Amino acid sequence: MSGKRASRQWLKSLQDRPYVWHIFRYVLAIAVLLLVWWAASEIVEHVKGRAFLPNPLRAIAEMRRLGPTLFRNFWVSAWRLVTAMLIAFSLGYPLGLLIGHERRLDQLISPMIYIIYPIPQVAFILILFLIFGLGNPVKVAIVASALFFQILVSARGAAKQIELEHITSVLAAGASRWQVYWHVVLPATLPSILTSLRVSVGLGMAFLYIAETTGAFDPRRGGLGSFIDSNIYSGAQAFAGIMAMALLGLALYILIELIERIVCRWKHVSRRSS
Amino acid sequence: MIDIRDVIIEYGRGARAVLAVDGISLRVEPGESLALIGPSGCGKTTLLFSVAGLVRPRNGGIEVGGENVTGPRREIALILQNAGLLPWKTVWQNANLSLLLSKEYPRKTAASVLEELGLAGVKGRFPVELSEGMKRRVGIARALSMSPSVMLMDEPLASLDTLTKERIQDLFLQLWRDRAFSLVLVTHDIEEAAFLGQRIAVLTERPARVKRTVENPGVGDLHYRETAEFAGIVGQLREALEG
Repeated sequence: MSGKRASRQWLKSLQDRPYVWHIFRYVLAIAVLLLVWWAASEIVEHVKGRAFLPNPLRAIAEMRRLGPTLFRNFWVSAWRLVTAMLIAFSLGYPLGLLIGHERRLDQLISPMIYIIYPIPQVAFILILFLIFGLGNPVKVAIVASALFFQILVSARGAAKQIELEHITSVLAAGASRWQVYWHVVLPATLPSILTSLRVSVGLGMAFLYIAETTGAFDPRRGGLGSFIDSNIYSGAQAFAGIMAMALLGLALYILIELIERIVCRWKHVSRRSS
Repeated sequence: MIDIRDVIIEYGRGARAVLAVDGISLRVEPGESLALIGPSGCGKTTLLFSVAGLVRPRNGGIEVGGENVTGPRREIALILQNAGLLPWKTVWQNANLSLLLSKEYPRKTAASVLEELGLAGVKGRFPVELSEGMKRRVGIARALSMSPSVMLMDEPLASLDTLTKERIQDLFLQLWRDRAFSLVLVTHDIEEAAFLGQRIAVLTERPARVKRTVENPGVGDLHYRETAEFAGIVGQLREALEG
């Protein structure tokens, strides 16, 4: 009984320190996932008689062995993904806000967007390779073009949901057109855009993988996608790459979370006070 | 002075146009208060917004201080229904919004207004951390920050509990007496109109027209609510609204 009480107290003391609690939850999640993975690899080996799914310990050992190579590919992928996200954000966000807020522009541009948006950008991959050639630009362009629509559509939606009262109040206080954007449209839409950026991490990662594995003849392809692709038949090595991808995703989620805590401070205050 | 002459306001264009205000003329002298009361959605807010320069009438004219109203002006302050506070700005930034927009450094008057309204201790907080009553005070502070000569209020105390509502009505009355601005109050609360409006215009269903004007010279005393005269005015207004 006393052991139970002690562990409950320990858990409570962790919860009282939000950051420690946050880290603890992630560590716990990683441990659970590794355990599930290990169990799955055991089951597969038992049923199929061969270790098709390498166990996590071997993958971690591979990660350590391949350290420098993996690290280099990690940075190549991280650079591509972040650049693509920045390009998509800086084009899609302002354009989305403009068409969401200016009704005439919306009527003109939205139909075009909704025609293009459902087409999978992968369909244009060959054309993009032909335009940009091999190398980094094409990979960044593939990811950016997919994320651009994602961000554009959610920025438009967020701009449409702004409460009229907020706009009326700044207009009555004498705001110019640009001041309405700066003081209302931009801050009001930031929380949904950051959520959309979080979704973009997963989507961007999938497109990055496609971009990095397409064009097998590309000598400069690099990145985690190409690392996984070229080690696809040596299980543990491929899984070392997959784990590195998961870490890249996690790092980006944490980065977006930190940015949100800074630029949307009022959101977190409300959470605290409620 | 506010001079509203034969104002007609329409929403939308062509066949889908909706008439919101149909030929209203009203005058408010400097330091005088006028309450506009009418059913919900009758067009009273639209009329108020046109005085604030946010809506342009189709016909007629609005003058404030002898000049035509063509857009928002510094001397015309507007208090909105839910105070119109921006959730992402602190109390201080919300209260000084007009000054921030005109790129002026918030002056000492702004600080003293916050102090006067009991908000000095919550300057750094966000609206979500405040009670409803406090939010309304921040809205008032914002309106006062530009030392306006005309104060427009659009259902400023809707959805507040009775006690908080009466406390803020008292505050409105004191501020109006001390600062001598012209006050136009839009409300659907009969007692609020009777407590704050020296003159009360009862409006019809949409499109808004003036149905009846009630003179209410007793306004100005904090204990006015307890008088027989007040009860009489409330009775007259109820009758006018129902009739």
